[in-house]
Amino acid sequence: MSGRLAIPSSAILQPSAQQRAGRVALILLALLFLAAFLVLPVVAVFTQALSQGWVMYRDSVRQEDVLSALRLTGLVACIAVPLNVVFGIAASWAITRFEFHGKSLLITLIDIPLAVSPVVAGMMYVEVFGFHGWLGPWLSERNLHVIFAVPGIVLATIFVTFPFVARELIPFMQAQESDEEVAAVVLGANGWNVFWRVTLPNIKWALLYGTILAASRSIGEFGAVSVVSGHIRGQTTTLPLEVEMLYNEYSFTAAFAAASLLTLAAIVTLVLKKAIEVTSGVHQHIEEEKS
Amino acid sequence: MSIQVENISKQYGSFTALANVSLTIGNGELVALLGPSGSGKTTLLRIIAGLESPDDGSVLLHGEESTQHQASKRGIGFVFQHYALFRHMTIFENISFGLRVQSRQLRPSRQIIRNRVQELLHLVQLESYARMYPEQLSGGQRQRVALARALAVKPRVLLLDEPFSALDAKVRKELRDWLRRIHDELHVTTVLVTHDQEEALEVADRVAILNQGRLEQIGTPQSIYDNPASPFVYNFLGNVNLFHGRLLAALSPEEHKDSTENSAIGFVRPHELELSRNLPSDWKAVVAKVIRIHAAGPQIRLELSIAGNGKSVTAEMGRTQFDELALVLGDEIFVRPQSIRLFDDVNSKALLLDQGAGI
Repeated sequence: MSGRLAIPSSAILQPSAQQRAGRVALILLALLFLAAFLVLPVVAVFTQALSQGWVMYRDSVRQEDVLSALRLTGLVACIAVPLNVVFGIAASWAITRFEFHGKSLLITLIDIPLAVSPVVAGMMYVEVFGFHGWLGPWLSERNLHVIFAVPGIVLATIFVTFPFVARELIPFMQAQESDEEVAAVVLGANGWNVFWRVTLPNIKWALLYGTILAASRSIGEFGAVSVVSGHIRGQTTTLPLEVEMLYNEYSFTAAFAAASLLTLAAIVTLVLKKAIEVTSGVHQHIEEEKS
Repeated sequence: MSIQVENISKQYGSFTALANVSLTIGNGELVALLGPSGSGKTTLLRIIAGLESPDDGSVLLHGEESTQHQASKRGIGFVFQHYALFRHMTIFENISFGLRVQSRQLRPSRQIIRNRVQELLHLVQLESYARMYPEQLSGGQRQRVALARALAVKPRVLLLDEPFSALDAKVRKELRDWLRRIHDELHVTTVLVTHDQEEALEVADRVAILNQGRLEQIGTPQSIYDNPASPFVYNFLGNVNLFHGRLLAALSPEEHKDSTENSAIGFVRPHELELSRNLPSDWKAVVAKVIRIHAAGPQIRLELSIAGNGKSVTAEMGRTQFDELALVLGDEIFVRPQSIRLFDDVNSKALLLDQGAGI
């Protein structure tokens, strides 16, 4: 629905000089704040990373440990993100298309990872899967390692990225009427056809948006992963952990070089996010539906 | 294909959407389900479609018990109020959807699908729009596409849920006539849900009037307009003047023995009020003052205030008669009903009156 009101520009009151001054002051304040807390730090990361010259930067990034951390981070994202895409679609479909008992509980549960500190999340997994945890003895009997191993890192990452896809899709699918899906069903389409031919094309941009947010978070996650990782260099160290370890070892240039990779990933995420917003109007669409 | 709805009830929490509704729709008939919002008409349509399941009762399609059958297996075409076209598909893809999703054994060949879509595009007069997307079409065109899409799978029943209510008045009227022509051509059993009484009376073979989950009356447009079964139907179909009064002995006594002491409501349609400059010879008339004249259109509508109680009533007449009376605002005139229909004020039972009596 196009709920926008067309207000003739003449109808908007012209601001007085005082109001104009106030507006300028507010904008300046916001810009100063952004510069001090967001732009400067990003610049600092790259300055530090390149302080010993480009060659040093390249060598720092190409260290075996850093590369291994990069690979592990990629692997974890490649497992956690698709799983959360599947879960996110299933949960949003259930929540927006069906009525059932415990629906509001499910919505609340999806939000838990956003409310819980990641460190606590990591500790919960240690408590469940750790050597002295509930399932620890059972797992170690079968020689399965979860904590201080890659599976634990994957689990912790899944936990913290849990809400992103679902939270992006739920308002979007709520705003869209399910009539198209009902129409497809009446025309004889089975569930598979309805999903692939009708639902997915309609939610693809919101889905991509949520996926990018989840991927970005899974790459950058520190707290939960830190607890379950065990910090074994070259084996259970993800990129953010590697940055911390290098930093604690006073290898500042190497630490910042690795950090610059994470920063680049974040910048790429932002650009992609913006690009999706522009090409698809995902968020604009949701806001219009709400108004 | 005939549709039989038997004793259908549906409850949403404490809200009764349908209470023991039964009706039969004949093969090739066009029936309108008419009622105000919340009357249960859409729920009934969705139950016939298999999109909702009734708490009680059954739906028989062509004499076959179908209450448990899935919507996709009922052989129905459904048209939604807001079109529900697949927005990322072209018009061609939209119309062919129902054919393309059929299982491999049943799916027609590409050539047959193409021919069928062309045929339907021709039927809905949108031949040149096949490659366009729904958002490039106007509301009326979109609804025609939606109808073509529903017809593509050769449904045995066509169900339309307020199909024209999102369109503006002129397009609505055009599409209404067009729907009737298509129905006369294809003879698909059709159920049309609407809250627009004019639309229902104009398009349908028979009209079923629903109110608060109950079927009030079903019949041909003329029969329900001329003989409304209840005060609700009277009120719902067009303008009406309402009079409260006590019943005197003017009734056929046997039938209404129990109600003669009750107060009654009388209904008179605006065109049934006879206006004259002179007191009728039988003295059965009241004096009223003209307080407003709506003279735009072929029918002149007058608002009158009855002398004595100040109650306002509406009268309608043709232009010729209006010119003859030469009425102006503030004129006083004699008014009497040519016919009046009475209902018991307490139990809404229709009361028979021998002839037009005084109010």
